[in-house]
Amino acid sequence: MHHSKLLARLALATALTGVAGTASAVEISFFRFFGDCQTDYGTVMKAAEANGECGIITALANQFNAENTIGAKVVTQTVDWGAYYDQLTATYSTGNIPDVAVMHSSVLPNFSDRDLLVPLADGFAKVGIDTADFVPAALKNATTNDTLYALPYDLHALLFHVNVDLMAQAGFVNEDGSIKLPTSPEELISMGKEFKEKTGKFYIATESQSSEGMMVRLWESFMWQQGVDVLSADGKEASIATPEGEKAAALIKAIYDEGLANTALDYPGAEQAFLNGEAGILINGTWGVDNYDSQAKSGKAVLKNYAVANVPGIFGAPKVWADSHMWVMPKDEGRTPEETEAALAFIKFLNDNNFQWARTGHLSVRQSVIASPEFAALPHRSDFAATAENATALPVVQNQRGIFSAMTTDLNAMWLTGTEPADALAAMQESVDQILRRNR
Amino acid sequence: MSGGGSPGRRAPGTAFLFLAPFFAIYAVFLVYPLFKGFWISLHDWELAGGYREYIGFLNYQDLWTDKLFWRTIRNTLLFVAMTVPTMTLLALMLALAVHGTGRLKAILRSVFFMSSVFSVTVVTLVWSMVLSADQGLLVPLWNALGIKPVNFLAHPLLAMPSIALATLWWGVGLPMALFLAALGQVPQELYEAAELDHASRWSVLRRITLPSIRHTLLLVVVLQIIGQFQIFGQAQLMTQGGPANRTRTLVQYIYDTGFRDWQVGYASAMAMALFLLMFGFSMLQLWLGRKGDDA
Repeated sequence: MHHSKLLARLALATALTGVAGTASAVEISFFRFFGDCQTDYGTVMKAAEANGECGIITALANQFNAENTIGAKVVTQTVDWGAYYDQLTATYSTGNIPDVAVMHSSVLPNFSDRDLLVPLADGFAKVGIDTADFVPAALKNATTNDTLYALPYDLHALLFHVNVDLMAQAGFVNEDGSIKLPTSPEELISMGKEFKEKTGKFYIATESQSSEGMMVRLWESFMWQQGVDVLSADGKEASIATPEGEKAAALIKAIYDEGLANTALDYPGAEQAFLNGEAGILINGTWGVDNYDSQAKSGKAVLKNYAVANVPGIFGAPKVWADSHMWVMPKDEGRTPEETEAALAFIKFLNDNNFQWARTGHLSVRQSVIASPEFAALPHRSDFAATAENATALPVVQNQRGIFSAMTTDLNAMWLTGTEPADALAAMQESVDQILRRNR
Repeated sequence: MSGGGSPGRRAPGTAFLFLAPFFAIYAVFLVYPLFKGFWISLHDWELAGGYREYIGFLNYQDLWTDKLFWRTIRNTLLFVAMTVPTMTLLALMLALAVHGTGRLKAILRSVFFMSSVFSVTVVTLVWSMVLSADQGLLVPLWNALGIKPVNFLAHPLLAMPSIALATLWWGVGLPMALFLAALGQVPQELYEAAELDHASRWSVLRRITLPSIRHTLLLVVVLQIIGQFQIFGQAQLMTQGGPANRTRTLVQYIYDTGFRDWQVGYASAMAMALFLLMFGFSMLQLWLGRKGDDA
């Protein structure tokens, strides 16, 4: 008797809290990388007060939770960058499918071609997201087979982050204060040597191990600069082992062979070397601008005088590698209309605050934001304005993660194991061909 | 009540009843997945999206001509060859050293076992920090010697031994504990008799200790073979398979194929190859062990 009474009470309590729970908040499960910074930004309620990718997206979620009037609550699940897509894929098997997830435009076709994402055009119309405001390239990134599957959130590209003091020491600052950058492969090497002589530092710092493939992005940029498309638009063919590819690869190998860059740097190591004033140029993406800028201003870093430059047209037109972060709604049969509504409200909130995200250093994808005076007033923004036009992405082709990883392995072999450019490119071509064969 | 006869007359049903829980778990978690894995390997089977097409043995044909697959097999075998004998020898030496009574030995036993409790992420992080040529623990040493810091994890010849080193440090505790348990069971009289005969320490080890623990030795070697063939975390986290695929292991390739590229059918075919490899080597080891028993 005693037991059954207790059980009945428990059941009643559970039922009550259950009802109360659904009445008070619709949970939006939010799946992303960008890191976890709850300790620094867990209580920051205004995105405008946050810095860096992680800080700003954390504060945006906090702000939405505090301000929304529909009783929705974003529950964030942060996944390590390297494992993100594997984990997202796994949710389709485990059933814990998130309501809103971040996705690169380069990865989108893998999901959209298998009908794993919710088409968003109708939802956007309902909550009032104006798709005509997106820059055309961004809208194209978010669309496959004429269906809109994502909210484009940024365009991110490779940049040259510059230590102005070291450049001045080497004599590479023009009279108008702009940075003198190489305009040809020969000049890059000769300037690098001169820089090394005058400063005793590395001309370039960048991730050079086997994890991020930063030099693959530079190599791809050099290919587009020579007018070669690395992958054909239909995703069937790759142009890697070509004379142009060899020129680009030979330059990258020479950077290391001449001792202009440290082969031992991993991603955090490269950032640290730059902030410690040990390198003139850091080759990394737009995502670092806000971070390096605030570190330089804080006075804590050795780097005091920070500037940004577009990746120069070393082989011709200054094309540069780019990708795009977007928000998607993974397809989930179990999602209720209320949850869908709440998720769309959150996506609209993110879109309304696109300017906050652009503060990271990423290029905005909303024409109204780009045209706004506060966007123009962001630090260093005019330094790399041209990157928006130079930005070039691989075509919308499946299995780009495998392709990128294979290219990274074989390209990095040039400075890690001493492979010759021609052999490295032949290996890249073979690996990529094998992957493309799988693309249906 | 009729069941209580002599042991020989007990109904066989009772025995099966007692075995049933084990068989059920064995069937659900081992036998079924094994056959399901084989079934999947006969398909073009995608992880997400539900695309499935029966293609017979095409995946196995692809494997045969897949250079990266053979490379990962070679890397994995190399890693096994580096770790299994050294791990066994090191564990045995440590066990012999810390076996017996005494406060210091007890403390050292815990110390040597301690590293085994860390997760692979912690172990690889620690070793990456030690071996890094950028800010690593050894960099001051290289600088003091006036040589360029060695980039262990990106060196074509040193990357794999570096991973093996971290693995040895991480994994030596368990085989050591197994050896310790076995050493504790060697009859003390044998040692006393040897002492009376003035046997040297070497012959005591060779004639008494090793023969007495040979079953444990066999167990350790087989467990190590099975364990080290499945190397994944260390390579994934310390080198990402680099430089130039020098440390890409079979399980890593299976993981990339299955989870990154969603080709579960092809990944399963590789997993079958791994199973056969491990099965073959374990059987060989057991057979060699048994041969010694007959002699």
